[in-house]
Amino acid sequence: MDLRSLIAPRLVAHAHCDIPCGIYDPTAAKIAADTVAKMIEKITGSTGVDEASRNTFIRSVAVKEEHAQLCKKELLILWTDYFKPEHLEKYPKLHDTFWKAAKLCSKNKQSVDAKAAADLQAAVKEIADIFWATKK
Amino acid sequence: MRPATLLFRVAVAGASMEPTFHDGDWLLVRQLRRPPREGEVVIATDPREPERLLVKRVRSVVGDQVTVQGDHADPAESTDSRQFGPIPGSAVVGRPLLRYAPLHRFGFVR
Repeated sequence: MDLRSLIAPRLVAHAHCDIPCGIYDPTAAKIAADTVAKMIEKITGSTGVDEASRNTFIRSVAVKEEHAQLCKKELLILWTDYFKPEHLEKYPKLHDTFWKAAKLCSKNKQSVDAKAAADLQAAVKEIADIFWATKK
Repeated sequence: MRPATLLFRVAVAGASMEPTFHDGDWLLVRQLRRPPREGEVVIATDPREPERLLVKRVRSVVGDQVTVQGDHADPAESTDSRQFGPIPGSAVVGRPLLRYAPLHRFGFVR
């Protein structure tokens, strides 16, 4: 036995905020994912070089980044705060699904890729379907 | 939940006692066999879940009614007497004496 495990506490003292922080709902993640897809459409469809077009282009990129990040945040809240071990028993792929969805958020932040956006939308839908199934 | 030994160790989980304790701090705790005092940090059982321990600071003691609160400046970061009300004196199980890990945060608890 190493020193660390010898001196490690065996009890946990909680210093949390554990009020349910409002209502859990996957809709926020869905709107964020849909926004990412919409912004990718705008970015790839943009050809103008005048100031107004460039402004719209840059704003579209910024909004895409922001909503990809927001989507990840919303997913992580569901993952860490809403879902419980009993859900995992019933949906053994839950962790994997969340992990892949969170990675897709990062991918959408980094790239302009309609396929990645569609994959993200599909992943969020999969999570939303599980979420609503647990509410039945 | 009352530990069997006079001294026991706990790991802090969560941020509600920032900046006094960080998530993951290890504390040496002494069982408290007297009523808690205002201003001291205590380990208490969760009134909603008696097997669970909380770490909070005593805000007031009125008779057997102990009001506990997290140190964090943002009340949203702590679940304490502001939500679950005062706890009975018997719920207080100990007082942290020493933060022994991480080593660079080693020190007595105030």
